[in-house]
Parts: sequence; C-alpha cells; structure tokens
Amino acid sequence: MRRTLRAKLALLVLCACPAAALAQWLSYPTPGIPRTESGEPDMGAPVPRTADGKPDFSGIWFANVPATDMCPEEDCIQEERMAREQINLGINLEGGLPYTQWSKEQMVQRQADGGLHDPHMHCMPPNFPRAWTLPQHIKIVQTRDLMVLLHEFNAAYREVFMDGRPLPEDPNPTWNGYSTAHWEGDTLVIETNGIRDDMWLDIQGSPVTESALVTERLTRLNFGLMQVEISVNDPKAYTRPWSVTIEMAYQPDTAMLEEICLDDEQNVDMHRPVTSESE
Amino acid sequence: MTTTSPKIDRTFTSRIALLLAAASAAIALPAVAFAHHSQSEFDFRSIVTVEGTVTELSWKSPHARLYVDAVNEAGQVENWNFELPSPTTLMRRGWTRKSLQPGDVVTVTAARAKHFPTIAYARSIRNADGEPMFTGVTEVEAPQPVSSGSPE
Repeated sequence: MRRTLRAKLALLVLCACPAAALAQWLSYPTPGIPRTESGEPDMGAPVPRTADGKPDFSGIWFANVPATDMCPEEDCIQEERMAREQINLGINLEGGLPYTQWSKEQMVQRQADGGLHDPHMHCMPPNFPRAWTLPQHIKIVQTRDLMVLLHEFNAAYREVFMDGRPLPEDPNPTWNGYSTAHWEGDTLVIETNGIRDDMWLDIQGSPVTESALVTERLTRLNFGLMQVEISVNDPKAYTRPWSVTIEMAYQPDTAMLEEICLDDEQNVDMHRPVTSESE
Repeated sequence: MTTTSPKIDRTFTSRIALLLAAASAAIALPAVAFAHHSQSEFDFRSIVTVEGTVTELSWKSPHARLYVDAVNEAGQVENWNFELPSPTTLMRRGWTRKSLQPGDVVTVTAARAKHFPTIAYARSIRNADGEPMFTGVTEVEAPQPVSSGSPE
C-alpha cells in the first residue's frame, strides 16, 4: 500500500513538472552560450574564445540558409533548408568550376546516369568538403591540438590535427583524407590530402580526386556565423585552383540526431524500370 | 512495400487525380527537386493527388515514408509509398513518428516515380482536418548540363 502511494506521489510530481523540464533534447537550451535579456541566443555576440585566446568553433552548425515558405499550390509549404552549393559547389563562382576535359567527361556520364552512381545516394560517408553543404547538422568539438567534426549523416566523424604534424606522404586514400590545421591570425587553416580518386563534390557530379590538396579556411565572424572558404587544387579535375565560400550558421538549443542512411534506402532501386515483381 | 493490413474508410471517397503537363504549367513546378540525391527517379511534371487512409508512417532514414491505401478508378485498393524528408528534418519541423497514424485520412499531392506507378515524392499533405503539413520540398536550380567540349 505504501509502495502504491509512493508511486502515485511520484507520478503526481512528474505531472507537475514544467513542460520545459520534459522537453526532448532536440529543444534543450544550450548551456553557456550568450543570450539576450529575453533569453534568446545572442547570435551577434562576439566570437567566443578558448583559454589560449583562439576563436572557438565548438558547437552545432548548419549552412546559413533561411527557412522560407513557398506556395506552389493552394497550400504553402515550408521549404527544407538546403545549401544551393549542395547541387553545384561552384554555383556562385563566376564561370563555374574550371573542369578539365577528363572532369567534363566524368560529369556528362554522371548526369546521363541520373546521379545513380552518386556515392551519397548509395549512403556512403559524408565526405568533406561536400559535407559542409549537406542538409544535416555538423558538430565541432575543438581542443587545443585536435578538432573533431561530427556529422549527422551516417553518424560520421572527421579528425583535424592541430598538433603540428605534417600531412602524410603517399597516404592511403580515404573518404575524408588526412587533415592538419594551423592558425593564421583568427583563421583556422585546414589542409587535406589523401582523398579518394572517385569522390563527388556535389549532386551534379563535380569530381575531386587523389591529386587534390583541399584547403578550408574557417573564420568565425561572430557568435552566430562562420565562414568556410573551400579551396581546391586538383590538377586532374580542374584546370586551375579555385575557391568558394560557404557561410555556416550556429544552431543553438538543439541536438545532433543520428541519420543512418542504409536504414531504409530505396531510391537506388527506383531508377530501374518497373518489372512484374516490382509492385 | 508495406504489408500492413489496410484500414479502408469506405465512406470516404477515395480518388486519384492525375494532373499532367497542362496543369503543371499553372503549378509552376521546379525543374527538379533534391533531397539526399538527384531525385531523377521522380518526374516532377507528373503530379498526382491521392486521398486515402494511412497504413504506416515509416520513420527511417534517409527518407521517412508515408504508406497510404487509396481506391483507384477501377475500384481496387492500391498502397502508395510517398517519400518524405528524413525523420531528422521532419522532427526539426515539429513532426513526430506519431504525427500520422494508421487509419488517418490524408490527401497527398506528389510527384510520381518514373518507373513505379504507386511511388511518389510528397509535395504537400493535408491531414483529416484539412491542415497542410510540412513536407520539406526544396526547389532549387537544376544542375547545368555539362558539355564534353574543350576545357576552359
């Protein structure tokens, strides 16, 4: 009887809790970030810094794309936020990306295939620098000697070493390659080599290959914004080095959500014509 | 394809309306839409509106899927597979895995798959109260065709 009463009391206490205390982590307030008097995250606050005075990029980031409504029919639909560079990384580059002949031939075939062989469509890892443009969140964990980038897509990770080590010579190619970083003033300069030879930079199939040296320059403009300048020097795929800049927005009061692509991938099979067994 | 037993509301008039090229001009469809892939498996000029009964809201990545039973013009029940954004995107827009449940009546407007007659990419969903629900359509410029001509 006493146990039953205790259980009822516990239930009463649980029901009396304010809604915020029961809120899921998805909307849990991020501790320690600057806030306005009304309690809203202060996105215009100064750049946060580490104990040694360097800009601190730690936190959850997403391409700085506003949520907008569109009204194609009588219903208005909220547009899914997505960086335009996800389709074409060089979309804002005058003249577009400077493809080599080899690159152009690759892309003609990739587009003729309707993107069927896009590694992303087959749920392969979110390779950087493409990963900056994907519609999933990225969490940066920064220490003095190591930056870790966690990506929601396939619950993936990437390491950037800031301990002074050199880039590897003749590295075994991987999805994200090998990354080291150093500071140039308040900008963190990440250099990467050892990328696989068959990577895509965007949905339209822009290549990046084993011959690439990719440089990402991270500059935090204020609390709410970060600029990522992506420079690609890949003589196999491009006639000259090129750079594009993507703006990332800090995502307060949210949490990383795992998105395991192979859980229910169906789109690859949808490319095949229907057969008697298809339906 | 789901194997969930259909729960058909026989009093509800199910219908399938195909709005093809003529209608698409008025709707101002995008050249193509994208999610985690090119979505070239869908024909965004071929829009279907389906009214029917939810059999399952599949809450998995990379795309949540809404399975809906609807009666076609021949009087046969068809189970539609409507592609949605990922559950993570939907959750950040207020959906939960229980936002739609088996037995709910919905009206879905969607772009049909090119090769599968009852698979489509959801553009808008109205629930039984007639309220529109976020479907996460993204409309951006299609990839520019690349010629295999001389390099720049």
